[in-house]
Amino acid sequence: MKKLYLFNLLFLLVPLMSVAQQQQDYSSNAVLAKRVKSLSDKYPQLLKSKALTQTIGGKTVWMLTLGTGNTESKPALAVVGGVDGKHLLGVELAIGFAEKLLDASSTDSIKNLLNTQTFYVFPNMSPDATEQYFASVKNERSGNTTVTDDDRDGKLNEDDADDLDNNGKITWMRVKSQTGKYKVNPDDPRSIILVDPGKGETGNYLLFAEGVDNDKDGLFNEDGVGGVNFNRNSSYNYKPFGVGTGDYAVSEKENRALFDFLFDAFNVYAVMSFGPSNNLSSPVQFSAPGVAKRVISSWYENDAKANALVSEHYITTTKTKDAPKTNPESGDFSQWGYFHYGRLSFSTPGWWVPKTNPDTARKEKKFVNEDAVANYLRWARSQGITNTFTTWKAIDHPDFKGQIVEVGGLDPFVLINPPYKLVDEIVTKHTNFLIDLAKMAPRLEITNVKTDRLSDGLTRVTIQLLNIGELPTFTSVGDRSYFLKKILVKVNMNANQSVVSGRKLQTIESIAGKDFKELSWLIKGSGKISIEAGSPTTGSKSVDITL
Amino acid sequence: MRIKHTILLGAMILCSGTMKAQKPENILAAVGTPPNPKVQISWNRYNDYAAITEICKKLAAAHPDLVKLESMGKSFKGKDLWVMTITNTKVGTAEKKPAMYIDGNIHSNEIQGSEFALYTAWYLAEMYASGNKAIQSLLMDKTFYIAPTINPDARDNFIHQANTAHSPRTGLIPIDNDRDGAVNEDGFDDLDGDGQIVMMRRKNVNGRYKIDPSDSRRMIMIGNDEKGEYELLGSEGIDNDGDGFVNEDGEGAYDPNRDWGWNWQPNYIQNGAYKYPFSLPENRAIVDFVMKHPNIAAAQSYHNNGGMILRGPGALEDVDTYNAQDVRVYDALGQKGEEMLPGYKYLVVYKDLYSVFGGELDWFYGGRGVYTFSNELWTGYSMYNKTDGEDSQNQLYNFDKDLLMKDAFVDWHPFKHPQYGDIEIGGFKKTYTRLHPGFLLESDAHRNMAFSVYHAYNTPKLSVGEIEVKDIGGGLTEVTAIVNNERMIPTHSSQDVKNNIEIPDIISLSGAQVVAGMIVTNRDLGITIEQKLDPSNIIVNNIPGNGFVTVRWLIKGGNKVTVTVSSKKGGIASKTN
Repeated sequence: MKKLYLFNLLFLLVPLMSVAQQQQDYSSNAVLAKRVKSLSDKYPQLLKSKALTQTIGGKTVWMLTLGTGNTESKPALAVVGGVDGKHLLGVELAIGFAEKLLDASSTDSIKNLLNTQTFYVFPNMSPDATEQYFASVKNERSGNTTVTDDDRDGKLNEDDADDLDNNGKITWMRVKSQTGKYKVNPDDPRSIILVDPGKGETGNYLLFAEGVDNDKDGLFNEDGVGGVNFNRNSSYNYKPFGVGTGDYAVSEKENRALFDFLFDAFNVYAVMSFGPSNNLSSPVQFSAPGVAKRVISSWYENDAKANALVSEHYITTTKTKDAPKTNPESGDFSQWGYFHYGRLSFSTPGWWVPKTNPDTARKEKKFVNEDAVANYLRWARSQGITNTFTTWKAIDHPDFKGQIVEVGGLDPFVLINPPYKLVDEIVTKHTNFLIDLAKMAPRLEITNVKTDRLSDGLTRVTIQLLNIGELPTFTSVGDRSYFLKKILVKVNMNANQSVVSGRKLQTIESIAGKDFKELSWLIKGSGKISIEAGSPTTGSKSVDITL
Repeated sequence: MRIKHTILLGAMILCSGTMKAQKPENILAAVGTPPNPKVQISWNRYNDYAAITEICKKLAAAHPDLVKLESMGKSFKGKDLWVMTITNTKVGTAEKKPAMYIDGNIHSNEIQGSEFALYTAWYLAEMYASGNKAIQSLLMDKTFYIAPTINPDARDNFIHQANTAHSPRTGLIPIDNDRDGAVNEDGFDDLDGDGQIVMMRRKNVNGRYKIDPSDSRRMIMIGNDEKGEYELLGSEGIDNDGDGFVNEDGEGAYDPNRDWGWNWQPNYIQNGAYKYPFSLPENRAIVDFVMKHPNIAAAQSYHNNGGMILRGPGALEDVDTYNAQDVRVYDALGQKGEEMLPGYKYLVVYKDLYSVFGGELDWFYGGRGVYTFSNELWTGYSMYNKTDGEDSQNQLYNFDKDLLMKDAFVDWHPFKHPQYGDIEIGGFKKTYTRLHPGFLLESDAHRNMAFSVYHAYNTPKLSVGEIEVKDIGGGLTEVTAIVNNERMIPTHSSQDVKNNIEIPDIISLSGAQVVAGMIVTNRDLGITIEQKLDPSNIIVNNIPGNGFVTVRWLIKGGNKVTVTVSSKKGGIASKTN
């Protein structure tokens, strides 16, 4: 396995250097469209691309189908990027996977993978929001262009953020005030942190996103442009009435288009999301009470085991560590993938700011306060990244006459999106992981075929149906959902043969990775029969048997 | 074919009959019924989609100032989902009046909801036209949105295909119910071709059934020390796909009333759910319509059967959503319903029926804050005007014999079944047990209409009451105004207030320069809460049912003012002192 990984790594890195050199920054929708087109042109036999839907903002949600022949009938992995519109890296990971996989498609191993499996790649589910990264004023946002009345005052998008210091970025705004709940972080005075009144601390700053109270309702930037967040609009653990949630679950075109496609794609055995939550660095924990309820809140035990196994592969393949713990948002996509779609569903942000240690040469001290900004700034300095922090600068603010107001702080996007020069290597590692994951896919074998002649013209046929993959044929949720097909086992006979015991047509439930199920029949007659077993997530197998 | 022919013949007889009897001089109006309706409709039979469409169009054509017909969208098979907007269009605008939304037939076999909804539309329009003061006043204040069938595809399947009283409950999007990769490959089979799916029975000494000695049509279970004569083999059908199961994958099946976006759960948790909230095109069209009509303050969705006035919560998990203040309103309406609908009980879905997710009434209330009932039409009480006896099965046979001339039963007759051999087929027709017999249809439609009228009447009615003007010196005048809600339903249910579902009500003053504005919480003691921003337009979160709010302004420049209240669910009212 390790050798294979090294081989892939070497092979994949070479042809992609050229692409990486061309691109200097994350992909706008125009750049993404170009990458999709050039990939379609280059690999017409292996890739079909289409617009899954258009957003209300007029942006295209792309869908790529990678594979050969009848792609619908082969087990499939769905790869989803742009789960959160602030997370530009997710888009790169998804489209980059498609590029690197296809660029390696002349190797036997990848050729074989593309012949036996299908990959559905959705590079960007939040194209309205990611476009903000390329706007003249960069404002981190997750919502699409649906117009929402976030403060429910009857007016729409009337109080957005404002670039008060005209630096093309929406950063932060701090106001000196005795009633403030923030103070300067003693570890790094550039950062500002919440005080803990329980420890007797007092604050001296109010903190807001950069802006004015446009509608004079006493609130800042409470109803800006930016509607519904793809990652808060799914039906699992959905909470309505919040900013970015939509009025009801799956109200948005992006969510509906993807779910409509996926529900009809019975061949999908796993969903891979590049988004905020992470069950690959630390897998989900099984909880018995969580599955004892009507509305389950835990993965089933077998599925949690599969997650643990995949997580081991992830850590080994990507060599990632120190991943921060994540708590999925309400209505998030990745949990939907398991709890409502019934598939194994994995998610990783792909990158996080590494944990830093004090640089003793610079006489740095260990941080007292846990503060992502201070940690980022220390890491950025060690990497020579200099242009991501705006020094606090006093401005004259119309809503705080006579008060000290400063604008500055950490730039938008940088905490979750690494400098672009790091992206190619991250994409390579994650591509290798996805190839590894695909090799764990469920696959059926019919094995240990036995025939016992009980008397002339009466034969007992016994087979073992083995899942030689490491992942289950489908999840325990899938066992119960009618949007997954069971394994159908069929005995094909001629008119002179008949089943005396057993069913000539039967469906069976999921088989765990490396597990098997034994079936037997009493069959009257002589000559040849065949037994066929298969499901969309496992592919089909057939054996010929002589009675 | 035979059924169609009968309907046609019936319609012809009826037409010729009514044409003669229609001369006003020959008629004495019965009280409470339109004496000489412009649109003649027989309320003792059921209508397919084409007939419903025709009735809607006739009502809109005959009452252009009262009834507007539009399509909310298309069904899966492309049928228009009709909705009639009924109000006095000459006074105010429909979208600004408090409204009641009514639909029927979400479950395709529960067809009489459509007739009840149609009856309501017809009654409102015809009574208005006949000069009835109560309905005229109602349609001045309120709007009704009436959608007779929100599942037209499968309604026509129920009516025109062989079915049981329970099939189909779904819409017609194909589903692989047994998950074998084939869709709808093993449904019912109308073995004898009579247009009905009834029961199969077979003589068997080891069976657990025998013929009821008091009614030879009825099968009863034998006692522990008795020998049986028959076994029951389920509904008419064969194992079409050879998998050893009979009728396991027929038309549909999903449940359109598990598709609504409040605490929605997938099909493995909530049987019948489809892909995600509003993933069915019919429901999607309705939710889009409702979101565009924020004036909807009350809703009714007709089902059958059992004589129930149901409110949520549908699911035990949603108990905390329904709080005491809102339950008081529900109780007042529901208890009145029990008086108006003999044999009907006011019940709560999760504890009196079953605990269920994704129902329409839960979304209307939870998602939009709208007080909503589902009436389960038809009750066994109506057979002999008494509560079901211990043996309600027996009552079905007796009622059929005593009052329906045995029209409801297909007599047992022999059939050669390809898999079961010699069997007999018989049982109640699809139009019995859940649907009203003809002679009781109009009567119950009327009672349910009256309950909806009561429900709609109690949506908010706002008025500006007292306007007190007081000179307080320094060139300032204090204006205190009272805004009343004269009905039971508040402008915002407490579910609505809690979640900021609908925007607040606005009470505005015009005609003078406003210096300050405030909500008065205690007028006698002078306790007020000032609104610093935009004091001309005072924001109030709610105007309670049978209650009022008091607001105050300090103004300059004149003491002749106009006070206007504007509320999404409560309408608009205005007064000048």
